[in-house]
Amino acid sequence: MTALRADAAVAWAIARKDALAELRGRQAVGSTLFFAGLVLLLFGFALGPDSRRLTEAAPGLLWLAIVFGGLLTVARLHQLEADDGALEELARYPVARRAIYLGKALAGLGAMLVLGGLLLPVVAILYGIDLAGAWLPLIATLVLGAIGFAAVGTFYAGVTVRMRAREVMLPLLMLPVIAPLLLAAVKATTAALGGDPFGELGSWLQLLAGFDVVMLVAGAATYGYLLEE
Amino acid sequence: MSDVGFVIAAYGVILGGLGVYTVTLWRRLSSVREASLRIRREADAAPPPDRPV
Amino acid sequence: MGVRLLGIIGLVGVAAATAFGLFVVPADLNQGDAQRIMYPHVASAWLAYGSFGVTALASIGYLWKRDLRLDAIAVAGAEIGVIFTAFAIWGGMMWGRPVWGVFWQWEDPRLTTTALLLALYVGYLLFRRLTDDPARRAARAAVVGIVAAVDIPIVHFSVEWWRGLHQGPTIGSPDRVLNPSAPGQFIIALVGMVAAFTLVWLYLMIRRYQLARIEWQIEEHGRLGRISAARRKASVPTGGQPEGAR
Repeated sequence: MTALRADAAVAWAIARKDALAELRGRQAVGSTLFFAGLVLLLFGFALGPDSRRLTEAAPGLLWLAIVFGGLLTVARLHQLEADDGALEELARYPVARRAIYLGKALAGLGAMLVLGGLLLPVVAILYGIDLAGAWLPLIATLVLGAIGFAAVGTFYAGVTVRMRAREVMLPLLMLPVIAPLLLAAVKATTAALGGDPFGELGSWLQLLAGFDVVMLVAGAATYGYLLEE
Repeated sequence: MSDVGFVIAAYGVILGGLGVYTVTLWRRLSSVREASLRIRREADAAPPPDRPV
Repeated sequence: MGVRLLGIIGLVGVAAATAFGLFVVPADLNQGDAQRIMYPHVASAWLAYGSFGVTALASIGYLWKRDLRLDAIAVAGAEIGVIFTAFAIWGGMMWGRPVWGVFWQWEDPRLTTTALLLALYVGYLLFRRLTDDPARRAARAAVVGIVAAVDIPIVHFSVEWWRGLHQGPTIGSPDRVLNPSAPGQFIIALVGMVAAFTLVWLYLMIRRYQLARIEWQIEEHGRLGRISAARRKASVPTGGQPEGAR
């Protein structure tokens, strides 16, 4: 049991370190948020000006913006260490690999929640969505989606951290894996905003939760192999 | 295009593709075997002063 | 060699199955001649999934045993899997156009899952190619391959659910509207094509595996050559016995 507590302590320490680095590097964080907002704006130009079409497409566009912003976010969280060679330093410590992974994923989760939370009102304004009454299911969807994205993103950021062409390899490897999450999150968001007329919200949230569990386990189990040598 | 056209397109690309891939595999294999032989000949002809483990 | 014989038998088998499927089996009552596309399409799809299964198992095996032969099997499975997946998608599109009227149908869960499969494993191959360090490559690729494999059942279920909860006409895969006029021959054609393709697949896997092994040996040799060249350079000033210097 103490081993578990030690792991949790390590994970928390790493998450805190990353979160502090994020807060200090405010320009990078802010730029990413601004980029995601810009993407939403651009979608308006691409699919508008018919507001009805935009309102219908809003859940999908929201999650696409979250995905694009998220790609930059998870890449940034790993770049902090990579640039200083700190990742190898971290790997030399006798800590459980999964603790490192979970710590970084936790930091990623925080960043994704901030991203999603800020994009929601932007979507509401740009695409004429009424968020009233849908807060709880929306937040649940956002949290479950963010967990899954952070789990997958942390893993693939670790995979691509020192590769050639990593800017393209991260999305290239990640996006097919994230497709079920995107699909489920959009469906859940749509259901939440529409008052869940077919009672499908629960199923989609379950799918998201299942995805999260599987990916967290897979990531924790394999992250260690990425740090070796 | 009538249905027959699609059937021909399907079989043609799939079977043709198998053939093309097989031939490229043969080529890669033969070029790599050649390179391997060449290296072995060089190694036998002039053994390095220290033997790498 | 036995492998060559395997290839020849596979080739003959494919030719025979093709002739049978195209000219002997009567046309489908619902879909007409378009249904004949199903034989190579289904065979390709089976072998695609099978190949990736091999890659997944070989990846796990490599992380466990660290035997590079398993890494060679993994890359063979991925490359050949990508080929067969591309064929499966092409076949699906050629079959879909006469049956649905369109080349692509988002409500066909198999088509969309297979497209994601292609994306996952093209990514795997690109990752291998862009990873410079050969010692790391095998382990990292194994990890990427395992996570990709883990994703596939999730994709399958979510896409099925996606289609199922959608309120609309159930379109789905073309084989739902089949009506073979000679069911016995239909099955023979299908099984025959799958069997013939499997032989060809096995032949290609063996060859691709051999290629991977020799490529690795050459790479290793190049790497060792650079190490010994560096050692030689380092041991020259001392003039001592290079054999002793490690």
